[in-house]
Formats: sequence, structure tokens, C-alpha cells
Amino acid sequence: MAELSDKAREEFFSEAQEIIETLSRNLLSLDQNIKAGLTDPSLINEAFRAVHTLKGLAGLFGAVRLGALSHRLEDVLDDLRLGRIDLGQDVLDVLFGSVDAYTRILQSEKSGSDEELDVEHLFGELERIAASATVPESPVAGYDLDPGLLAVLTEYEEHRLRANIDLEMQLYRLRVQFDLATIDKVLEQLKERAKRHGEIITYLPTGEATSADTIELDLLMASRDDLATLIGSFAADHVVIEEIPRRARRTVTPGTLLPRAATSVGHPERDAKLPERGGLEQATSLRSLTQTVRVDIRKLDHLMNIVGELAIVRSALGRVSEKLRADGQRKLAAELQRLHRNFDRRLGEMQDGILEVRMVPLGQVFDRLARVVRQISREVGKEIRLVITGAETEIDKLIVEELSDPLMHMIRNAIDHGIEQGQRRVEVGKPLAGTIALNAFQKGNHVMIEVEDDGRGIDLPSLVEKAITLGKLTRSEAEELSRDETMALIFLPGLSTRASAGDVSGRGVGMDIVKTNISKLGGVIDVHSEGGIGTKVAITLPITLAIVSALLIQAGRHTLAIPLASVSEAIAFDEGAVRLVDGREVITLRGQTLPLCRLGRLMALESESDSMLRRRFVVVAALGQRRLGLVVDFLYGQEDIVIKPLGKSLAGVRGFAGATELGDQRVGLVLDAAGLIEEVLTGVDAPRSLERAGG
Amino acid sequence: MVDLTQSTASRLARRVGDRGPVREFLMFALAGDLYGLELTRIKEILSPPPITMVPRAPAAIVGVCSVRGLLVSVLDLRRKLRLVERPLTRRARILLGAAESGEVMGLLVDEVRHVVRLSAGEVEPAAAALGGDVSEFVLGIGRPAGEFLILLDLLSLVSS
Repeated sequence: MAELSDKAREEFFSEAQEIIETLSRNLLSLDQNIKAGLTDPSLINEAFRAVHTLKGLAGLFGAVRLGALSHRLEDVLDDLRLGRIDLGQDVLDVLFGSVDAYTRILQSEKSGSDEELDVEHLFGELERIAASATVPESPVAGYDLDPGLLAVLTEYEEHRLRANIDLEMQLYRLRVQFDLATIDKVLEQLKERAKRHGEIITYLPTGEATSADTIELDLLMASRDDLATLIGSFAADHVVIEEIPRRARRTVTPGTLLPRAATSVGHPERDAKLPERGGLEQATSLRSLTQTVRVDIRKLDHLMNIVGELAIVRSALGRVSEKLRADGQRKLAAELQRLHRNFDRRLGEMQDGILEVRMVPLGQVFDRLARVVRQISREVGKEIRLVITGAETEIDKLIVEELSDPLMHMIRNAIDHGIEQGQRRVEVGKPLAGTIALNAFQKGNHVMIEVEDDGRGIDLPSLVEKAITLGKLTRSEAEELSRDETMALIFLPGLSTRASAGDVSGRGVGMDIVKTNISKLGGVIDVHSEGGIGTKVAITLPITLAIVSALLIQAGRHTLAIPLASVSEAIAFDEGAVRLVDGREVITLRGQTLPLCRLGRLMALESESDSMLRRRFVVVAALGQRRLGLVVDFLYGQEDIVIKPLGKSLAGVRGFAGATELGDQRVGLVLDAAGLIEEVLTGVDAPRSLERAGG
Repeated sequence: MVDLTQSTASRLARRVGDRGPVREFLMFALAGDLYGLELTRIKEILSPPPITMVPRAPAAIVGVCSVRGLLVSVLDLRRKLRLVERPLTRRARILLGAAESGEVMGLLVDEVRHVVRLSAGEVEPAAAALGGDVSEFVLGIGRPAGEFLILLDLLSLVSS
């Protein structure tokens, strides 16, 4: 790739990425449409435009491989939109292959590697498809159309004209005077209005303007509505509408008159409804493009850091006003107090604003997953129906990026191990197509994502067998496992429920890795499964990683922060209420047993002797169903903090999510509640062997 | 913070010999001995801000501190080099340098002296006599104007 400034490169990559994602979305919609027996010409058009833009971009940036692929793909899409190729699953497969190839090429360009990517096969396929294009016979118009007009139609317009005639649409000529100053806008409005009735195929100046400031156009429009309806609809626009009469039609069989046109775009009766929708979408996407800026997430991090530092300034201001009051300067103190409150409010708004910018809909990653589902289901020959809900649920951009791999593993597992082969499904009375539901929704400060399948469920006995074979568990330990504990075996490294490791994807794409990745994001993962009915894997994630409300506590001489999202309550600690269950300290809280963890002891922050003297507290950390009482020395109260990750040199240190500035230059560690619960409770919930295996 | 360019200039006069390419080292004291780190590797010299101990961290890491919003892990060079530990004095400084991973780390030293320029001929290869387990961090021995300077390799110090 040509030498470029970093900024230009970034721009190029993010724009290319965006276009490829658009393309992928279009192809998915096309796929769905074909399955539903629909066709929407605007989707192929959009795909064509996306690839065309990408080709231009590739040329501009000297990305040769990207250009070569775009060039071939553009040919195929052009043939498709002009109806010279039928859009079938085989063609769609190759198109999806191109999206994957784009992604690989882009990654390789980004990492600056010149490694050979195997795209020859794909190129061959694309060329084969392009070569199969048949040029339709020249249209013999069944309408009394102006030959001058026909002569200047572009190939695409000609195709649309044929398609519309084949749909038995009536053709109209609309003659309109436009003011030169506003023609763009007015014409757009007119087109928009026309979509309710059909589609404007082309327009040509008539050359008969009444004044120098106006221009007169003839619009060729196809519509299923009659003349009176159209006149009624366009009356306000001073449009003169004429019906273009049919010539003696049907003297030639429709097949030869209008070859292939309709078949290329699918079923005519449905097609007629679609241009309207496609057109609207197009208009919306154009608008949003002009109002969007792309921002590097690091710049937002930087802004967030500044907000964090401003928060420290705010606290200092608060102290100054307190001091003034104490010194008897009441008036000045009150004034400063007012400013302080105002500052506080604005800062809060700014923080919310920045957080909002960081939020992206989960749909971004769901789109990619839909592609994966399609690909895998075809690889393994299982029919899959993917049902997505809550794609609009928003979450921090950083989390979205980190989510795509774990979710992909989960979906792969669901297809490979969950959904049965079609024949088997029919035998047990399930629909032939397996369903995978991808659900997302917000729950307080968390986002829940569920991957649910209606497959065979997790085979618990064979899971146990496998764990025993792998030496993670003895047979006697296995017998003592509760159902939940057995289910948790799935998160042990190296466990796969399939007996054979030979099947397509599946050496059990480690659920242990999935779990690790989710924990890194401060999330927890739970599995529910019913034999023969299905499996649901649920992930609970914090909405953002950037700024969090935290409870500041003291343990030993340390000031620590616990994210409030994982705190359910804090109570006074009564040493006398502690009981020992299975060698572990617990207390009873509203009838429920709460395991305890003496934070100071766990972290070796203090000696036992000085801790006995003080009045202490229990902070109840809760994530999902799991709760843990952290015994701490003091509660300072709540504060918004910016969590900064510990450096790589401390990467191996467990129990902390990072650190934060406490003001007066001090740094406080932020507890990783999910990690702590995991660490402490593995000994309670699961047998000791699990601890050994996980530890 | 010490202004490095100025001290460099003042040391120019002390330049010794002209054998081979000249490298600049920052001289500092640790448990009574003098050490040197290549100047280009050092980003900044700070008076130690409050350092927060990190439980469960590797022994040589005393904790983390914030340098203008940047979180920095601080390595105690005495611990790292297995020297006798002693409480910090007000002369203690933190040297900032980048590890191979790009992470900025702080090195806690007793006292910063000045910058010396050494030509290749003035640097002896590391003597095995220094002891097996720390010799991996030692680039060599420098002998500017009668002084004895143990030259350390910053990258291997902060990356291991």
C-alpha cells in the first residue's frame, strides 16, 4: 500500500470497514428476501454502489488487492442489477465469500503484511459468474415511447423499464417546470412522492422552458395507479401527467418480448411494493452520512480522562468552599458553593454526553454474527433460522469490539453442538430449521445478551464422563455435583460435549476462553440447558467501561473502589453472627446464606490484630445470582471514577479491574468484583477439583 | 524534575577520550554504588508521587502512581537488583522509561547524580563477578574519571 499519513490510513480503514459492513448487511437482507421470495432492486443497487465506492477508495489509497477484488465484484453486481445474472444461493455464496475476502485483505493491509492471501479461487468464481451473464435482447417497447428518450436510457434505466413493463405497470409521462435554483430539492421531493405510486425511471429536459430561470423536464414514470390517482397526488406540483398508451401488445409472447427481466429480480407481485421502502431507506442513509463524524475511540478516552481530572478539580473546589465557610467568610463561601454546584451539574452532563457518544448499538456485532450463522449453517448442512431481538440496545464501543469473538464462539457451539441434524429434528417432532435466538436488552446498568438454541441441550452425563477422562474430576466427586455445578464443567479448558473431535468446527471452541474474555469485560456468563429442548447462554455486561460510580472503601491502610454496579448493599458487620459452613465463613442475610471474604486478609493488607478493634462493614457484591460479602474497615461513600487499566507488568495480578485517581495525587485500586466473586466462590459453589482445574 | 539538556551541556567539558561512538548515561546511586542507564531510554525524572502498593504484584513492583493522569507501575531497583532495602530519602527519584511492550514504567532509585558520556572504549563488558542472577541486566562497567559505574540495560530490567 502506498505511503500514507497515519491519520489518512485510519480514515481509509474505518471508511472501508464501514462500507464492507454495509455491503454485508445488504447481502444479508438480500438473502432473507430471496428466502421469503421477495426481491428489492434497491438492495442490489446499494451493494453495487458500496463496492463502487470501495473501488474508488482503493484506487485513491493504492490498495491494489482491494481494488482488484472490488473490480471483479462490481462487474458481477452490475450484471445482477441489470438482470443479466440470476441471483441464486450459489451467487450469494460467492458474494458473501467476497465480504470475507475484503475483511481478510483489510486486516492484512492494516497489519502491513504482504502475505499472500488466497483469493485466486474467489476471483475465479467471480469471473465465472460474470462470464455467465447473458445480455437480454434489446427491448421491444410495447408502449408508444419517444424513440429519442429510449435512445438515451442508461442500461440500468432500460432494465428498470423492462422490469416495470413486465409487472404490467402503466407508464406515464410527467411534464414539470422546475426553478433552476431549487431543482435538486424539488426533483428529490417529487421522486419521493412518486415512490408511493411506483417509480420514476428517468427524466430528460424537454428544451421548452418558459423563462431563463426554469427548466422543463419529462419524467418517465411507471405506476400501478391510474391516471386520476396520479393527477390527484401531483396536482399541487403543477405537473402535467399523460398516460403513455400501449401499443398493440401481446402480439409477441411476453417471454421473448421481455426476456429474463422479471425473473432476475424475483416475483413480480411482491416486487411492486418494494421500491417505495427501498427509496425511503436510501434517503435516510444519505442524510445520516452527511451528519456523521468518525471519531477515534482514543480521543474519547482522552476527553474522558479530562473529565476525570475536572472531577478532581471539582472536589478541590468543594474543599475550598468548606474552608471558606469554616473561616467565617460565609458570603464568599455561599457564592463558591453555588458555582461548585453548577460546575458539578455541567460536568455530569458532559460526562453523560461523552458516554453517549461511545455507545453503539449491538446491531453492529449482530450483523457480523448473522453472516457467521449463514456461513456455518451452510458448511454443516443444517438449516438455521436466526432471530435477533434488541439489536438497538446500546453498549460501549470497546465492549462491542471485544464481544464479537466470544459471541461467535457461542453461536458456533450452538450450531455445531446444539442444533441437531435436520432429519433428527424431524424425528423428534421439531421444525426442520433450527432456531437460534440472539437477544439483547438493558437491565439497569447492565446489558444482557442471550444466545439461545432449540437444539438437543447439553448432554450432562457425557460432559461428566469427559471431565473424568480428562482427569479434571474423580468419579466420586462427580456424584456429588449439583446440576448447576455439572453445568459449570463446560467452562473447564479442553471440554467439548462431542465425543469425536473430527466434526467441522468443533473441538469445542473453548467455553473457557469465552468465559475469560467476558470476565475481562467485567461480565459474567451463565448457562441454562434442558435436554432435548435447548440451551441458553446468558452474558451480563456493564454498559460502559469508561466511567463508573463506585463505592470507596478502606481495607487495611488501602483505599479501594468497588464499582457500584456490582454492589447490592452495605451493612454493619457483626463478628458474632459469623458461622462456619464447610470451612468457610458465612453470615445470614434476610434468610439467605452469604459467603464472606475478609478483603484485608485476602489481599494481605493488614494483620489480624488491628482489624479486631474496629467497627467494620460488609459490602455485598452481587453479579447475576452470585453474592459475596466483602468485609471492609470503612465506607467512604460513593464517587464517579475513571478506571484506568493496570500496566502490562501487572497483567497477572488478579482481583483488580484497574486503578483510579482519588485526588491529592493518590491512586486507589479498583476491585474486580466479578473476578473476586469468581475467585472466592469457586471454592463454595464448585467442588475442589474445579478450583484446581481453574486455578 | 532535572533539566537534562543543561546538565548534559555542563558535562561536555568532562568528556574523556575519543575512542569509538559516544553514548550518554544517566548516573544514579543505589545502596552506595553508582549505576548508569542510557539517557535516550529515560523519558523523565520525577520526585516520587504517592505510590499505591498493589497486593499480589511481583515483588520488585512497589506499586502504582499517577503521572499527570498516566498510570505508571513503579519498579524498586533495589529489590530488582537484590540490594539491601532502606526507607526512601528525600533525594529518591523515579526514572520513567518505556518497556518493550510500550508500557511506561517507573524505576525507583536512591539519588540521581548527573549525565556521563562514555565512548565504546570506556565501557568494559560485564564482569561475571557481579553475580549470576543480576548480570542479565548489566550492559557493562563504565569508568569515567576514576569512577566505577555499573551500566544497566533498561529494557531487560522493565521487561522481565
